[in-house]
Amino acid sequence: MGIAVLLKQVPDTTAKISVSGGRVDESAVNKWSMSPYDEYALESALQLKESGGGDLVAITCGPSRAAKMLTDAAAVGADSLLHILVEDISGLDSTQVQSILAAAVAHSGSDIVFCGKQAADTNAGSTGPGVAHLMDASCVTMVSEVVSDGSSLTAMRASSDGNERVAVSAPCVFAFDKGIIELRRPNVRGIMMAKKKVAETLSPADLGVDISVSSVSIIGHNPPPQKPPGQKFEGADSVAAVVGKLRDEANVI
Amino acid sequence: MDVTVIAETSGDRLHPVTAQLVGAVVSIGGTPTVLCAGGMGAAEAASISGVAKVISVVGDCFGTFDGGAWAEALNAVTGGDVIIAAASSTGREIAATMAAMRGIPIIQDATNLAPGISVTRPIYSGKAIETSTVTTPCAITLRANAFDAAGGGGSAEVSTVNQSADVAVAVREAIAKASERLDVAEANIIISGGRGMGDPANFSYLNEIADIIGAAVGASRAAVDTWEEIPHDMQVGQTGKTVTPSLYIAVGISGAIQHLAGMRTSKYIVAINKDPDAPIFGVADYGIVATWEDALPALKVELGKL
Amino acid sequence: MAYEALDFYDIDSLLTDEERMVRDMVRDWVDEKVIPNIEKACRDGVFPDEWRVDLGEMGILGAPLDGYGCPGLSYIAYGLICQELERGDSGVRSFASVQGSLAMYPIWDFGSEEQKNYYLPKMTTGEWIGCFGLTEPDYGSNPGDMITRAEDKGDHYLLNGAKMWITNGTTADLAVVWAKLDGVIRGFIVEKGDPGFTAPEMTGKHSLKASVTSELVFQDCIIPKDRMLPHVKGLKGPFSCLNNARYGISWGAVGAAQSCFSSAREYALSRIQFDHPIASFQLVQNKLAWMLREITKAQLLAYHLGKKKDDGTWIAEQISLAKMNNVDIALEIARMARDIHGANGILDEYPVMRHMANLESVKTYEGTHDIHNLILGRHITGIQAFTREP
Repeated sequence: MGIAVLLKQVPDTTAKISVSGGRVDESAVNKWSMSPYDEYALESALQLKESGGGDLVAITCGPSRAAKMLTDAAAVGADSLLHILVEDISGLDSTQVQSILAAAVAHSGSDIVFCGKQAADTNAGSTGPGVAHLMDASCVTMVSEVVSDGSSLTAMRASSDGNERVAVSAPCVFAFDKGIIELRRPNVRGIMMAKKKVAETLSPADLGVDISVSSVSIIGHNPPPQKPPGQKFEGADSVAAVVGKLRDEANVI
Repeated sequence: MDVTVIAETSGDRLHPVTAQLVGAVVSIGGTPTVLCAGGMGAAEAASISGVAKVISVVGDCFGTFDGGAWAEALNAVTGGDVIIAAASSTGREIAATMAAMRGIPIIQDATNLAPGISVTRPIYSGKAIETSTVTTPCAITLRANAFDAAGGGGSAEVSTVNQSADVAVAVREAIAKASERLDVAEANIIISGGRGMGDPANFSYLNEIADIIGAAVGASRAAVDTWEEIPHDMQVGQTGKTVTPSLYIAVGISGAIQHLAGMRTSKYIVAINKDPDAPIFGVADYGIVATWEDALPALKVELGKL
Repeated sequence: MAYEALDFYDIDSLLTDEERMVRDMVRDWVDEKVIPNIEKACRDGVFPDEWRVDLGEMGILGAPLDGYGCPGLSYIAYGLICQELERGDSGVRSFASVQGSLAMYPIWDFGSEEQKNYYLPKMTTGEWIGCFGLTEPDYGSNPGDMITRAEDKGDHYLLNGAKMWITNGTTADLAVVWAKLDGVIRGFIVEKGDPGFTAPEMTGKHSLKASVTSELVFQDCIIPKDRMLPHVKGLKGPFSCLNNARYGISWGAVGAAQSCFSSAREYALSRIQFDHPIASFQLVQNKLAWMLREITKAQLLAYHLGKKKDDGTWIAEQISLAKMNNVDIALEIARMARDIHGANGILDEYPVMRHMANLESVKTYEGTHDIHNLILGRHITGIQAFTREP
């Protein structure tokens, strides 16, 4: 059983995003982090590895700076690291990203894939299902927990009425939501070990994926539209006036 | 331009966002064919104005949700240049899988479409807006409440196709939600509390108000992280749920950037906070500088009068 | 907003990947566990036990020591740990300093093989907390005249005396206590529960409120013979410990100053007076520029001293200079930051007043500001000015 976790480095959710020259200014991002949903995928993958054995490979497709995130994954227990180096991933379309990642999973020999339900930059959510199709694997999204019962894997996923426990067998892809599992912190021992784990770095071409033509062209980025300034009231006595405005001005109640 | 619209359903009914999908397609000159998975909501879909035809796709695979199987079955009856679905969790998964099956690109969570096809979508949880063009064929999912819904009064032809696929995801157990409260992701009005509520027990004041106006109760990350009693599924914000209700009431929430990312696109925002400098007032349409202890009883009384 | 540590001269680029990862690990922990809970801890006057567990799990206690399960990190990494912990609160850094530099270090350097094997593995995981007993009610800057005495009673030692201002004292499982045996200062390991040993907590502090400060009282306290540290005699023992702790403080002070600067900058940019952010006024900019200047100098001092610690080329006077300078500017920055925050600066919503109060202690403990001046004065002139004696 080989387990792969797909990770993406994104601006930290607390980082400010600024736009300059019609593009998001990545150089102004003061903190890059592992995408939050991916952290849950990684944690659950580590738990599965610890309960059932098997090697865990952490895979990313991204620029050089993303190497740090792979090392972070190694520090909490990923066995090996695979970095598909693409300096500007914003130009890739979904088909290219999925092809690269599916080829990387195949290269790693893994048959169980963990990923976030979406990345915190594009917020799309196409990767898990797309990679699953390319691997001819089943896919479960909105997952909060995965456990192995020997022959099959059981995932807890969100449903319209609450949660469902569903069973699938490998090959399979689990796309994670933020769950109830607690994320582990790295420790000094892990950091020392991570030093010894060197990422294998490949280009899309090494995996036989052509990224020369993208079907999506970014025209530009803009800051979100500014709302007109709101009205501010002092004290609880103003509640009646605000409720009146919600009814008469905004028509929302 | 022939467009396949994947109907969004809620239970066995058509979800109202489907009319918005149709409206968006028509606005860029598309001719929508609506696919109803498992036949759910087909009659309702046929009555949406502008729909060219409705295909009710019936098969065993639609008994439980397996995005891969649903996509395979729907894909078999999909034609045209563009696939449109709702940017719900199921819509995203089905559309992404269909796009991968067809080897076409997908853009998720669009908030505007223009002929071309030019797509606008929020990125970085709404901290920036991206406009791009995509070649056809392609798939696009649309954010709920971002597009004008097509009207009723249509009478499209409904055909039924038997089409199933192998299901790889077996449901072993269904676990119902602990509370019967509205989910913040679904609600039209949300009242959220932050750490300023002081104690998780004080969320009962929010619940009382929510009951009066049919709102869902949400929470900031600070509240969820601090108090075990406040479950993560209440969290609004970047690592919680992104919501676009018509009214969002933030109580005792200072307005950390992660929280704003999850609710700033709400149509109207009311902020109640004792700190006049709290960042939440920067996005509020109506700000009330007061303690929740003073403001909530007054709010309950006023809303009760409506 | 993501915390952005002031790093004007890009010290970050001088760090190894390992040092950066350790720094980030501690930084994230402080953001997640310390900052949201520190005001409550201060109000309650407790050091949350969860923090002890976390520090042990992260594996950073006794950071620069190696062997016996200890981390074996560089002194630079140890400094960065102190910097990040003290960005949260001086009390957290104090806990780690006392555990690592004052309790684990003397066992590691001066202990017997049995003592090292028995105590160090338990201490690096945080399972056992240590404290350090040197200062006495009447002997602070002048520890050489300490009153605490040990007597050799054949099959045990008998300890009598009292220590004061002991961080971690009440919660500690063991104390490294310095006492005179036949007129010579020796180190003894006293365990919680040893007959005749009590450690009442000192209360009423306006500073380091989230840190436990205690007295250690020895009344005919019976210590087994194998608890004396065999390999050191005289003031060299406690002073070696203090050198390591003071080194850590020189980094810790940078962390506290960074926190104050960061809060002051953010506040100045958002606070509007006379229709403009106060950051746009020259007097405020002058203050921020001074803070940046002093923090940058302090960082370079700490970094270079760390390199010398790692190379083994340091002298104690260099540590005195870094401890004295960095705490001094950190305290001044905290006061200035409080000023920039106006009245809001006194609220616990902002970290500045807490850092300010903490740093008053940090300025005094581990060699007062003035004592470090005297250490440098002696180094410059060759004339000691601590006492009136020749």
